[in-house]
Amino acid sequence: MNEQTLDRLDQKELQLYTNGRQLYTRYCQNCHMEDGQGLGQLIPPLAKADYLINDLSRAARLIKYGQKGPIEVNGKTYNQPMPANPKLTNQEIQMLLTYIGNAWGNSSKILAINTIEEALTAEE
Amino acid sequence: MFRNLKVQSARAAIILLGFTLFIGCTESGEQTLPILGRKEYKEVNGSIDTLYHTIPAFSFVDQDSMVVTEATFTDKIYVADFFFGTCPTICPVMKQQMLRVYEQFKDNPQFAILSHTIDPEHDTVAYLKNYSMNIGVPDNKTWHFVTGDKDEIYKIGSEAGYMVPVGEDSDAPGGFIHSGAFLLIDKDRRVRGIYDGTKALQVDELMADIPKLLAEYE
Repeated sequence: MNEQTLDRLDQKELQLYTNGRQLYTRYCQNCHMEDGQGLGQLIPPLAKADYLINDLSRAARLIKYGQKGPIEVNGKTYNQPMPANPKLTNQEIQMLLTYIGNAWGNSSKILAINTIEEALTAEE
Repeated sequence: MFRNLKVQSARAAIILLGFTLFIGCTESGEQTLPILGRKEYKEVNGSIDTLYHTIPAFSFVDQDSMVVTEATFTDKIYVADFFFGTCPTICPVMKQQMLRVYEQFKDNPQFAILSHTIDPEHDTVAYLKNYSMNIGVPDNKTWHFVTGDKDEIYKIGSEAGYMVPVGEDSDAPGGFIHSGAFLLIDKDRRVRGIYDGTKALQVDELMADIPKLLAEYE
């Protein structure tokens, strides 16, 4: 974790971030890679990814329900399905988003649990 | 989620342990890589000949619609692995690691890579072309992504060939179980190394072993 991230997050947020990193290793890293760079034109990056940072609620839905069809990330089109993770709890999704949204030079606000709940029950 | 892979890795670990013991028994000093797999001994005119395990003949089609057989690898050493395009677990990281191998050795005419899909119904020639282009492999000069008859692919992956677990399993993530192994094959189609393709350190080892194996043929 770089120092900028340390400075920006308070203690509770750092906890979410640390737990999120463990979940990331387990659920996300095989495809999106340790450095969040993805894989070529096959798997989109998460690091500095506009598609992620511009809409964290959409990211919450994508983590839970998966993704099919083309998406555009930083001007490039990716079309590789992402599996759903239906067993993840809202809190785990909050942890994941805290990590993904603030690792690798990303800087995002922390989504509240009820915001995640709303995002997941909203129409897709 | 990774239970099936774990069971398979445990099996692979037992096999690897056997190999490690074997390596331990070879003459020290020489930097020659071990010859892996079950050996057979055959009596010829009163003396005993050792027959090493070799990869049997095969015929698949790669991302450029080229028929790939054992003859494609004449006078080449190669690295083989198994994957599938929609794999939600270890395949992308294996491909990231294989790309390192590819980048380092792609200009050597005595080196090749052979990636077998274990989901040939989904991973057609067109799909494999798109997949390989997307990860940054522009042609089939060094790296062949092959599809073909499912039974033949599973058979070559089994004890009869590369000795790694591959197969369908509706309980596994993505519907298939497969090993993350990279197999190093010599010019005589013998298995000379097995590496965990999801671990950078083991892939470093593979990249150190490739020049050693090439040196045997100098």
